[in-house]
Amino acid sequence: MTTAPVEIREPELGEETTADRPWMVIVWNDPVNLMSYVVFVFQKLFGYSRKKATKLMRQVHEEGRAAVSDGTREKCEADVARLHAHGLWATMEHDT
Amino acid sequence: MSPRWRRFKRGPDDTLVVSLAPEEMALLRGLPSELRAVFDAPSSDAAAARLFPRAYLDPTEEEAEAEYEALIQPDLLRQRLDALELVTASFAGAVAAGEWMEIALTPDDVAAWLGVLNDTRLVLGTRLGITEDQRRIDDDDPNLAAYAIYDWLTYLQGELVEHLLG
Repeated sequence: MTTAPVEIREPELGEETTADRPWMVIVWNDPVNLMSYVVFVFQKLFGYSRKKATKLMRQVHEEGRAAVSDGTREKCEADVARLHAHGLWATMEHDT
Repeated sequence: MSPRWRRFKRGPDDTLVVSLAPEEMALLRGLPSELRAVFDAPSSDAAAARLFPRAYLDPTEEEAEAEYEALIQPDLLRQRLDALELVTASFAGAVAAGEWMEIALTPDDVAAWLGVLNDTRLVLGTRLGITEDQRRIDDDDPNLAAYAIYDWLTYLQGELVEHLLG
């Protein structure tokens, strides 16, 4: 087994600005959703590792909210819709 | 020695077998029609609003919010109705296993069950005003039965999620 050669390209300074990721998806704490279920949903919808999903769940629980994804308006609306379909309380706002 | 009893266990062909007491199954059978009633409720209903929340909080985004509610929420409703259909249909496959009823759930059934359990808890939790604080309920509380159902659904969903997380 081998791996394909990878072309390493240094990102230029400021190449990806917040203008490319103008929106972010926020998940809010709520008293009903199980912590384990929230971890499950983050892993299922975003493909996050257990560790990352658990960290985000903890942030929601302890700080009241966490940004779970970002991108264009269309992408974030789709993410919000998938979170709503799973019963999570999600909104989107401008990345500041 | 008999193996430890488990609520959810792996079945053939990628199924998940759930074991329910007859009275537990009777309770679950009633959930789809209760949820359907909430889906039909006006958005001023707190429980309906909890299932179909706003996407935007920013008041300058009212146009985008209206679009989200007009274009995307009907899709979310359709997905939820599909889940109710799957859950209702899955009860037809229940077989007696001693004093328990067993249902073999396909992966789609499992996703639908998880959604219906969670949606029901969101509705009950909203109606009961559940908070994260420890609750104290008096024996004569008119919502005693609703709290008991909520707690049992919480337990059942927790078992299912634990199984899925592995």
